[in-house]
Amino acid sequence: MVRIEHKRALMVFRFGDKKFEWPIETRYWRNPILGIGLLALLPIVFSGRPDALSLIATANIYACIAIPLAWQMTGIGRLNFGPQAFVGIGGFIAALASVHFGWGPWATLPFAILGGLFFGFIFSPLTNIAKGLYFSLITLIIPLIFLEITYYFSIFKGETGLYGIAPLVNVSSIKAEYIITGYMALIMMVIFLFVVVKVFDSRIGLYSAAINDDEEVANNLGLNIKRWKIISFVITSTMVAVAGWFAAHYFGTFSGVTYLQLPFMLKILLMVMIGGRGDVYGAVYGAYFVVILEKALTVVGLAHYILFPLILLILLFALKEGIYGLYRMHRYREYYPTIRVRKR
Amino acid sequence: MDAIQSILVYTVVLGSLYLLIALGFSLICGVLGIFNLGYGATFLVAIYGMWMLLSTIGVNLWVAIIGVFILQFLFTLGIIYFPIVKRYMEKEELLLTSLLLVSLIVEETVNHFYPVTAGVDIPTAIFSHTLQLGSVSIPAQMLIVIIAAVLITAFFVYFLMKTRIGFKIRAISQQLEASRLLGVRVERVYALAMILSVVPPTICMLIIAPIWAIEPNMGHSLLQTAILVTILGGLGNLRGTVMASFIVGLIASSVAFLGNPRLVGMSILLVVFFVMIFKPQGIAKSETLW
Repeated sequence: MVRIEHKRALMVFRFGDKKFEWPIETRYWRNPILGIGLLALLPIVFSGRPDALSLIATANIYACIAIPLAWQMTGIGRLNFGPQAFVGIGGFIAALASVHFGWGPWATLPFAILGGLFFGFIFSPLTNIAKGLYFSLITLIIPLIFLEITYYFSIFKGETGLYGIAPLVNVSSIKAEYIITGYMALIMMVIFLFVVVKVFDSRIGLYSAAINDDEEVANNLGLNIKRWKIISFVITSTMVAVAGWFAAHYFGTFSGVTYLQLPFMLKILLMVMIGGRGDVYGAVYGAYFVVILEKALTVVGLAHYILFPLILLILLFALKEGIYGLYRMHRYREYYPTIRVRKR
Repeated sequence: MDAIQSILVYTVVLGSLYLLIALGFSLICGVLGIFNLGYGATFLVAIYGMWMLLSTIGVNLWVAIIGVFILQFLFTLGIIYFPIVKRYMEKEELLLTSLLLVSLIVEETVNHFYPVTAGVDIPTAIFSHTLQLGSVSIPAQMLIVIIAAVLITAFFVYFLMKTRIGFKIRAISQQLEASRLLGVRVERVYALAMILSVVPPTICMLIIAPIWAIEPNMGHSLLQTAILVTILGGLGNLRGTVMASFIVGLIASSVAFLGNPRLVGMSILLVVFFVMIFKPQGIAKSETLW
């Protein structure tokens, strides 16, 4: 039985010997919990609208790419222009295993993770070899090479891509399937968010901030920056690969044309930038905002293809710290990452 | 023997084409020290600006050619340089993202008004026949590409090496602050460099439009080519860019004639990728413009 008590500025919820405290004053509310609670309501509210459910799931998948990228930008102190390469790695591993061997999503997941870890480790020395603009350029090239590989080798099915990938859940009701997968996407996003927030609150977050602000100073202070950059890159790349795995099983189709080209990278980058310039919560705001804006603009017809990037361009200039910056203006300002391609 | 002949001819042809595509991008990289990711839109403005003047407004060919250059200069200064590059030069993450967005907006605008299904017919062909060079046949129009590449490069070299404004451009590319202290009006030189940078791609597009597959999303691949050649050339060194263009041409023609034409794109990307890792300064160092 839950007992509710009023204790000074707190509401205390007691359940047996466990207790949960909630501040009464709104400025002390734990807004991430409220935000996630609101997002959790969305699939129920829109349970009769498959298009809205699909939109919510898509926003969560994008957030799952943008959240680790926000960590990566700080953790390696560089701007990755090719995160979609790891979406491709996770997605193609899932798609190939599912289409060619008939594996289900839970059988392909470990391989997507292993693929992310393996290729993350292979490419991780770049975080130490290439600096500033060179890193951005090299990472820009990697997905393009991958795209050429998918064109060349027939197992990737070129521009058509792989289709018939096993769905995430098998239930008879389509409505139930939409709701379940919607919640699965949300749970994945919340896990990613929780992990990255905890990392930023930990010692690793402090190391990341030090590396992002000044690598040389961090190194002189005794921080093994090479090791921490590699760790940040490998883990975040693997998380992005998992998002790719989810996308492949969620949409049932996966092609390099969709995920490996510049427009997809640009969309992810915009989510990070417009959301909150590399802030973790901002990445979630950015993902939802970009996905909903794109959908909302379809009411104007074909002109939405022009309006969509135009509005994002205006917002990019207008919101100096992104959408999340509007909220942060009234909140305590803890460490805020500075993204600079070429640090001076 | 035929293969070697083909490789040599196409190295020159493709090298000249790549040079025209990358020269402007490399100049911006060398002078302003930035990557103009909106460069892909330059090609679209050239082709579709020309098509708009010819088909929609209905002017004659020569007026359209002059008009497209004016349009290109207005686009470069009015949309790329003053509102974006000048204001956000020190914030590269914002600069690169916004330039990519501008390129996307131009692409979508072009796609809206002139969709790929509508077709484009630019009547700038000087030759319509093919040319037989030994066992190799190439469109005769490609000779114009080679001549244009030589002339424009020669002009750029002369301009940069022999004129007063060329000295200023080179000075800025080497020591920005020292140039500023010595009285060089940096912003003006930047604007001039931006104008100069659109000349080669505009001429290139006008020459190859009659024999090239034109579509609204062609800017991506051309931007990619410009980036790869510029990286290989040493990020802004024009001498390196000239060499890199012909090296990329050699790789493309060798892979196409000796291997598999489908591997051309991948092989160029791989070569540039490994160059960036093992010799990041490229063929020539970007410390100087030439």
